[in-house]
Amino acid sequence: MITLLKNAKVIDPAHNKDGVVQDIYIRDGRIIAKPADSEKIGQVYDLNGKIVMAGAIDMHSHIGGGKVNIARMLLPEYQAMRKLQEPEAHICGANCSHHATPNTTDTGMRYIEMGYTAAFEPAILAVNARQAHMEMGDTPMIDKGGYAMLGNDDYLLRLLSQNADQKTINDYVAWTLHATQTIGIKVVNPGGISAFKFNERRQDLDQLHSYYNITPRRILQALSRAVNEIGIAKPLHVHCNNLGVAGNFQTTLDTMGASDGLPMHLTHIQFHSYGTEGDKKFSSAAANIAEAINNNKHITADVGQILFGQTVTASGDNMMQHLNAKVANPKKSVIMDIECDAGCGVVPFKYRDENYVNALQWAIGLEVFLSVDDPWRVFLTTDHPNGAPFTSYPHLIRLLMDKSFRNDAFDKLNLDAQAMSNLKSLDREYSLYEIATMTRSAPAKLIGLQDRGHLGVGAAADITVYTDQADKEAMFAKPDLVFKDGELVVKEGKVIKVVWGATHTAKPSFDTGVEKDIKQYFDRYHTMQMQNFKISNDHIAEDGRNHVINHAQG
Amino acid sequence: MTNQEHIMHTCPACGLLCDDITGETIAKQQFSCGKAAKFYARTTSGSQPQVGGKNVPLADAVKAAAGLLKQAEAPLVAGSSTDVHGARALVNLAQHTGAAMTHLNASSTLRNMKVLQHRGWQTTTLTEVRNRADVILMIGTDVVTHNARFFERVVWVNDAMFTEPAARKVIYLGGDKLNTKPGVAPDGRTPEVIECASEHLPEVMATLRALVMDKLVTADDVAGIAVSRLKAVAETLKAAKYATLVWVSKDLHYDHAELTIENITETVVALNQKSRAMGLSLGGSDGDTSVNYTHTWLNGVIIDAPEWESHDAVVWVNSYSPEAMPPADTSPVIILGAPDSKFETAPAVFIPVATPGLDCNGQQFRVDGSVTLPLIAAKPSDLPTLTQVVAMIQAQLQGDLA
Repeated sequence: MITLLKNAKVIDPAHNKDGVVQDIYIRDGRIIAKPADSEKIGQVYDLNGKIVMAGAIDMHSHIGGGKVNIARMLLPEYQAMRKLQEPEAHICGANCSHHATPNTTDTGMRYIEMGYTAAFEPAILAVNARQAHMEMGDTPMIDKGGYAMLGNDDYLLRLLSQNADQKTINDYVAWTLHATQTIGIKVVNPGGISAFKFNERRQDLDQLHSYYNITPRRILQALSRAVNEIGIAKPLHVHCNNLGVAGNFQTTLDTMGASDGLPMHLTHIQFHSYGTEGDKKFSSAAANIAEAINNNKHITADVGQILFGQTVTASGDNMMQHLNAKVANPKKSVIMDIECDAGCGVVPFKYRDENYVNALQWAIGLEVFLSVDDPWRVFLTTDHPNGAPFTSYPHLIRLLMDKSFRNDAFDKLNLDAQAMSNLKSLDREYSLYEIATMTRSAPAKLIGLQDRGHLGVGAAADITVYTDQADKEAMFAKPDLVFKDGELVVKEGKVIKVVWGATHTAKPSFDTGVEKDIKQYFDRYHTMQMQNFKISNDHIAEDGRNHVINHAQG
Repeated sequence: MTNQEHIMHTCPACGLLCDDITGETIAKQQFSCGKAAKFYARTTSGSQPQVGGKNVPLADAVKAAAGLLKQAEAPLVAGSSTDVHGARALVNLAQHTGAAMTHLNASSTLRNMKVLQHRGWQTTTLTEVRNRADVILMIGTDVVTHNARFFERVVWVNDAMFTEPAARKVIYLGGDKLNTKPGVAPDGRTPEVIECASEHLPEVMATLRALVMDKLVTADDVAGIAVSRLKAVAETLKAAKYATLVWVSKDLHYDHAELTIENITETVVALNQKSRAMGLSLGGSDGDTSVNYTHTWLNGVIIDAPEWESHDAVVWVNSYSPEAMPPADTSPVIILGAPDSKFETAPAVFIPVATPGLDCNGQQFRVDGSVTLPLIAAKPSDLPTLTQVVAMIQAQLQGDLA
């Protein structure tokens, strides 16, 4: 059956279309060229005057895996019962959820209602990948995927300290992608999570690891080269050293040079853009960071915007989260060392606009957004749930698109923070085309989803239809229609059909001989068999709902 | 030897999930662990669905179960001894019948969860302990009663990356009739054993925490233990490169045991100000970790404790413990259970279901919560899985009886 979306006002940056009125044809979940007149059109939606974009893609959102579930367990006081209607009630009855760490059902439902059709879990501990996929498998409506964490796993650190050749590292990285069913590689506080296990409390970019005698820079070089050479699209996803530390902007600037010019993605860069100026020794270095991003074309970044309210931070960076635990609100936290692979730190936070640091963090994120020229290289994230829940995206979009709305919010901030920010001098207002770029076309390109994030022929028919409104928060909070793989699943901001999405992976070729050493490592030091570390396609698909979509190397 | 004998299995008989069990080991019944031996010796033959103690076709049993659930105003899903897939099915059943859900280990699980929810904690996992721990303090437990192969697989190992395993210092604190023999090092070094009755653990642990925090303790002894001895333990913990404080919540069966667990976890927090230490909660059985985790991501909240008296029908699931049953006065009971379930009184409905890791495949969380392992059927049978039976009951509820 062919579905026709008639008179769509298309905003599709991948094809340089900015408000082009055209018809879109869908068959078997894909966008097709205009069929012959003889072919029957089964369904027609007249979208006269409606804005049509590809489904949005969240390239960094903590939606599955141990940290998030611990966060759910940790904060019963923020859970609230919700009574769901059909068809949500069909898969989840008495639904209890917290806005910052929704349960899996709510996660999928709230994303699709906002026109998002995919989300990527950015911090999958390799050893915890099976759990991450189970949770994501129980997340309806959207496509999923993840980035496997390397760079604090003892296997890699041993290889580097023994001066293993790059080919061995490449094979191990590719093997990890296969074993964990992920699409990218992330490094969190390179070397730092490991160093914390040796009682180090800080790891700077050029500081030698106290046991392995290698630097974070070396880890970044090796991993960014590996990711580049094995041929996956997604550049190394880097959570820099010194998360949240005043003065850390210099580490961030230095990190940009650590991949020797190879593509590198710096994540939640707001948390890494802090100076030490002013009476409180905490200032915005957003201008320095944005300038560096503008000048370093190999760098992409997502922001990790904070928005005010209660949330919970969930990070692999247990070294820095152990420090942050002192300012937890409510005052409790979970810090874990995990399986000679990585760690995790779950710390609740309440960001308040009257608090100097929080207010400045809010401004810093927006300063970065507004000062980076190229929307293809800066991505809209709140680092859900760390900066704010993903459900606040429509609000964030309005802050970017509406200067007077933004300035009104700025005027309510802590006065000392206002004095330390140049946000009000930034007049830029994002256009719909730029929003579509940073939330659709650019993430698809970055991750390597060639058939998503655009509306060209052959693309998966993940499509969101909006009514243009002056209030952009209202517009993006409630699309008129959302199609997932060609099926109408949301109408007037409400789910009308439950679907399950797929899991996106990248599986580059590698020398399987690398398993010999990995197996020896598992046999000597681990408490599980290497075979059980590896997740098969069948394990992802075994409940009959999920399936794996592997992406060609690109 | 058949191909089946080459397959490596994961044993779900305790929370340790040892995944080095070969098919040959199972075929020859040569285990170093009594729990594994008992688990793999179980038989699934000859068990039939029953209604009121009489054998009936599966469809009739499903219909009877659905009928009871349809009549019930406040059903309870309990036992819940299953894996992740089973847990998904049970959460679904609970949601669609309006049932509460609990697990047979809920009360001991909740001791830990109360601490997590009140203060949080700092914990580690088995491979970290295996490679890093130089001091292991076992508090109120010998572990081996629950996790027989803990010392074999984690402590007295041949290789560790960052410490000399044979040189580890093992200290037992408290507990009644602890089996401390596994704590003897390979070279014959005996563990330090500081004995006290379980009910005195709260004050002993509170004192140890105070000493670790350099608080002034004026008493000379606590529960018959010289404070100087506890001070020496505190100093050992502080000097350790990676001290590991181990507890099993099931062993702390006295009132307000969560406060003792909090004293353990807050001792770890205090140690981590200057040195490195971590907590390790062991035990775990009947898929309790799996069911709690799955329940949490599907429902947003942890599994709760049962309130038997407020329910008018119980669905009891006992995949791993055929002998476990709900309280004797519970009625009516629908058992979706192991084929070798042992009941004194015939339940209203009994439907034998496959046990993950024995009759069917599955996936299970290890007790330390970060590792999930696949379970492979050791003796594949044609018993329906819990997921299949629950789906049949739900179809019946939505269809004929809706």
